[in-house]
Amino acid sequence: MASLQEPWLLENGNLKGTSKEMRHGRTAHNMSSSSLRKKSDLTLVSKVRCGMLRHLLTNLQEVILGTKLSVLFPAIPLAIAAQCYGFGRPWVFALSLLGLTPLAERVSFLTEQIAYFTGPTVGGLLNATCGNATELIIAIFALWQHKIELVKYSLLGSILSNLLLVLGTSLFCGGIANLGQEQKYDRRQADVNALLLLLALLCHMLPLLFRISGGSAALTAVPTLQLSRASSIVMLIAYIAYIIFQLVTHRQLFEAQEESEEDDADVSEETPVMGIWSGIVWLVGMTAVIALLSEYVVGTIEDASESWGLSVSFISIILLPIVGNAAEHAGAVIFAFKNKLDISLGVALGSATQIAMFVVPLCVTVAWILGIKMDLNFNLIETGALAISIITTAFTLQTKEMPSTWVTLIPRPESPQLNRIIS
Amino acid sequence: MDRHYSQVQVASDLENGDVNFKVGLNRNNIKEVCVNGKTPQNISSSIMRKKSDPMLVSPNVRFQMLGHFLTNLQEVILGTKLAILFPAIPLAIAADYYKFGRPWIFALSLLGLTPLAERVSFLTEQIAYFTGPTVGGLLNATCGNATELIIAMFALYQNKIHVLKYSLLGSILSNLLLVLGTSLLCGGLANLRKEQRYDRKQADVNSLLLLLGLLCHMLPLMFRYAIGEGTSTAYSTLQLSRVSSIVMLIAYVAYIFFQLKTHRQMFDSQEEEEDEEEKAVIGFWSAFTWLVGMTIIIALLSEYVVGTIEAASDSWGISVSFISIILLPIVGNAAEHAGSIIFAFKNKLDISLGVALGSASQISMFVVPLCVVVAWAMHVHMDLDFSLLETGSLAFTIIITAFTLQDGTSHYMKGMLLFLSYIVIAACFFVHKIPQNQISEGKPFTGLFAA
Repeated sequence: MASLQEPWLLENGNLKGTSKEMRHGRTAHNMSSSSLRKKSDLTLVSKVRCGMLRHLLTNLQEVILGTKLSVLFPAIPLAIAAQCYGFGRPWVFALSLLGLTPLAERVSFLTEQIAYFTGPTVGGLLNATCGNATELIIAIFALWQHKIELVKYSLLGSILSNLLLVLGTSLFCGGIANLGQEQKYDRRQADVNALLLLLALLCHMLPLLFRISGGSAALTAVPTLQLSRASSIVMLIAYIAYIIFQLVTHRQLFEAQEESEEDDADVSEETPVMGIWSGIVWLVGMTAVIALLSEYVVGTIEDASESWGLSVSFISIILLPIVGNAAEHAGAVIFAFKNKLDISLGVALGSATQIAMFVVPLCVTVAWILGIKMDLNFNLIETGALAISIITTAFTLQTKEMPSTWVTLIPRPESPQLNRIIS
Repeated sequence: MDRHYSQVQVASDLENGDVNFKVGLNRNNIKEVCVNGKTPQNISSSIMRKKSDPMLVSPNVRFQMLGHFLTNLQEVILGTKLAILFPAIPLAIAADYYKFGRPWIFALSLLGLTPLAERVSFLTEQIAYFTGPTVGGLLNATCGNATELIIAMFALYQNKIHVLKYSLLGSILSNLLLVLGTSLLCGGLANLRKEQRYDRKQADVNSLLLLLGLLCHMLPLMFRYAIGEGTSTAYSTLQLSRVSSIVMLIAYVAYIFFQLKTHRQMFDSQEEEEDEEEKAVIGFWSAFTWLVGMTIIIALLSEYVVGTIEAASDSWGISVSFISIILLPIVGNAAEHAGSIIFAFKNKLDISLGVALGSASQISMFVVPLCVVVAWAMHVHMDLDFSLLETGSLAFTIIITAFTLQDGTSHYMKGMLLFLSYIVIAACFFVHKIPQNQISEGKPFTGLFAA
């Protein structure tokens, strides 16, 4: 049961499934402290300093130790120290990468805590927006340092890793673990995501074809840029429509996973672990740390690449997303083991859709504001890999009545293969 | 009731060769025209006409003939909501005669073509009453996209092969993404709480046909990339295109046979609701005469459109590719588009799909190969090699449509995404100015310059 903690970062605005892990996940001591806090929470803030200190400590414990990944937290001060004392830059890179892993998971946790106070719709929006906060912050820093290739690579890698690696391992493990059982999922939700991804593919494909068929790069640069910006606006519109579709008009499509949780878990209380203000303060703090580490990562990636003998594209397409998605990945696999494929699909596809339809166009728009010329023209091999993964995923999730068997691990072997090609 | 019937009437140009269904629609036409739409005088005259029709063909009474003629005129000219656009036709001719600006001629001709496209379908259906279901179905299937066909022929005649390719491609794209997308979007929003279902077998057949069409466009393109440009490549591309065209025509004939003979029931699902009397509004010969006349006017306007497209493009600052891929098909499909949306509002998605997909597969499997064959007969070197960007858009369009129609249900998000895809493609061709100039001046992309 302790392994249940990771799925907090479902991005689908599902608020209910988050509370029960609080109680199962920790030690008995933890449980008791959390029950104590629940009663005295409001009074503690207005009480004496001793109580305030206690509150702070409880908070700290909740936030820092509330995840299995907290063993990786020491990497954060180490990374900062390594930077300050002028250690080797590959070391800074490796430590920052490790430090980012638990932070990514914690941000989702804090977002959900805040979502308790804002009601389901705003909460859903918050979850949907902050779900891939790490990727977004890294991308913005890379943009700031004019490393546009890095932005493109890391976002592309995140989509690929979600679609092939996370989904592939989930279906594979789920298939192996539930060999005798039928494994079903609701394909309507998968269909919507696949269609959104196809639209994203179109937006990446057209600038590429443009460049290839248009002849000289000088002539096509301006139209490509214009087209990319127009496409980004269209993608953002599509994403807004998708959010409305998901949170307002067609909630029932996305709520399938909720019921299954209520029967085995307690339907009872779902109370936040901390107050809204401490949640916000923590969130701001975390974001600042993420930003710091992201800056290290972006600044040292070339040195790491040189000293390790790996290409920058391999590091940013393969390594970065694996680390950034580690928590999500674990959650998806765990739910697949329990034969709850809807949730696994929601994690993997939702995250991929969000990056493709929200983070990528947002980066283009931000670049536009900053006066940087970023277009949607990923190169041929990257766009090809993206096209293959989207189409493969769409076909994998096609079958109507047939259960997903572990033969659907087809996407998974494909991912190392693609990695080879790319690196 | 009035509104209902007049809306139905706009949609009367379904191209899916489904005769019975059309007949049913026409019955609505009659009602609309006779009972709701016009004056009582009109009703009586139409009743009179119906009785005295055979007599009139042998010219006995001149007065009655005049009445008959006027009724006919009213039926044909005013029988559509788009009739307000008819004045554009004489204006276009006048503009050409008095040497107005060429962009004006282009715009007016385009406006004038809109109602004509709808009327040709109406007349084809009238003729179909007299010919029996099979010939009628054939006629409907063939004349469904008469406007596109005539424009294409004129472009071929004037050796503007790129305009021809663009306009046909644009017609496919607009049917699959714009017409289908807006239909599903409006239908989804109007029936938010209801389930929206359709028969996916019909959609599947059309998707397969479109995929075959895609293959026939893709191979010549790859040919050029694999072997490189040169006279020998141009020659073999041309041969391949001609063979592919013949194969596509065979596939289309098989499709017509499948649709009208062996698997009627698959396409008949929409029929059930209408089961009253079905009668022709006008006689065979007058319909035939009208059809010939309309075709001549369409030909005239098409000639204007094709002849002035470059001038319009220059003076408006819009590329020829955008005008012919986006604007031309929107105008040509306006009537179909409206009909398709109206049926989607009523949650009759089968009909909307029939309109959009039927039209797209007809253009891709019949009009395009026919153009290649006609060009062959005229010794014009036209191949199936649309260039990379166009073929890429086509491939994407067909794949996303096939994927959208996979599961037999619909919601507004699907329509929204198709529509947004169309916007992206339109934006792409809008900014596509520079390469377009290169293509038409320098590179032998179209086969036109290889001749």
